[in-house]
Amino acid sequence: MAIFGNLNHMSLDDLLPFISSRDGALELFNLKRLPQITLFFQKGKLICVYQGNKPVDALQARSIIGELIDARKGGFEFMPKAKPKSCPEALNWPVDRLLISITTTSDEFAQLADRFPHPETVFKLAKDTAPDDTRLADFWKQTHEYLKKGTSAQSLAGRLGMPLDHTRFYLLKLQQLGAVTAVRNSQEKPSTKRTGAAARLLKSLKKHFFGEDGAWSH
Amino acid sequence: MEPLKIVIAGPVGAGKSTIIRTLSETEVVDTDAFASEDIGKKTTTVAMDYGTLHLGDQLLYLFGTPGQDRFDFMWDVLSEGALGLLLLIRGDRPEDFVPARRLLDYITSRHSIPYVLGVTRQDQPPVWEPEEVAVFFGVPAERVVGLNAKDPRSAIGPLLRLLELLIENK
Repeated sequence: MAIFGNLNHMSLDDLLPFISSRDGALELFNLKRLPQITLFFQKGKLICVYQGNKPVDALQARSIIGELIDARKGGFEFMPKAKPKSCPEALNWPVDRLLISITTTSDEFAQLADRFPHPETVFKLAKDTAPDDTRLADFWKQTHEYLKKGTSAQSLAGRLGMPLDHTRFYLLKLQQLGAVTAVRNSQEKPSTKRTGAAARLLKSLKKHFFGEDGAWSH
Repeated sequence: MEPLKIVIAGPVGAGKSTIIRTLSETEVVDTDAFASEDIGKKTTTVAMDYGTLHLGDQLLYLFGTPGQDRFDFMWDVLSEGALGLLLLIRGDRPEDFVPARRLLDYITSRHSIPYVLGVTRQDQPPVWEPEEVAVFFGVPAERVVGLNAKDPRSAIGPLLRLLELLIENK
């Protein structure tokens, strides 16, 4: 039996429940934003994800599945019994739970898109403990060394090879949890020249708006 | 004496142009244009507002930045070398708080610039009070000042607070 087709007619979330009961590999190709992707299934679980010829880690795998769920261009073919050559970190994600999780993330992603932080806003860690949510914990593990020093969604997207909007989404979620916070460079000590200028300006403004005694109450 | 610069930023309709007109001694240079999308008012600033105050030998520039995201390059241009940042928000429009916090995060994470938040429309309740806004933005309460942008003695309040904090090195 040959299982093949186009994502234009059958999206990944239509396909996965059907595929997941079989052992083998689902190859996806001619995708708009991704190179060839291969998903390996065994006993109802997603075991491994390959991008090209290489296995990816859990964080990249989530990101790729998220992209594939939305993809409407690209072909697919299922190869029964195919196994990965190597898989250093087996995912073992039950497909039914993965679908719910990815769909929830996808809905949340669309809902929050207009609140994503600016790509160049610099964030730093506010807590040194990983969040409970598995999706966020994977992202946190991969990024917390960078976040200790301060980094942006743009920079993380480049380092992790993830779509920029995905790193913006994760940073927003971590910010909402209080796990990261935007860096405030204003906390740096100002120069004596600046404080001197500020003192002169303050005196002049008070005099200008409140008269000689400069009485401003607040 | 070297001129000093204060940047006034905030979402569309926060009152940036109004506060600059209230405080400026000279004719305000603005670049308002008819809004091409529904932003709740007919015109909006598309490049910047600019006003000045002469205080003895000291010249103070007030620059208002456009509120829309697509002008974010102006936030960087105007923040460079500025003495401080006043982020204005309308206290009766909580829907603007998230984009305003995003703007504050962007500017203060990229520039070493002291800031205060000004919450307008304090004379027109119901309105969020400065203490409540401080909690939402996660900033110290002392950095948030309520004001009426049309009253010079009220409008100058956030700038005075900004300078006090700068002097106290807070």
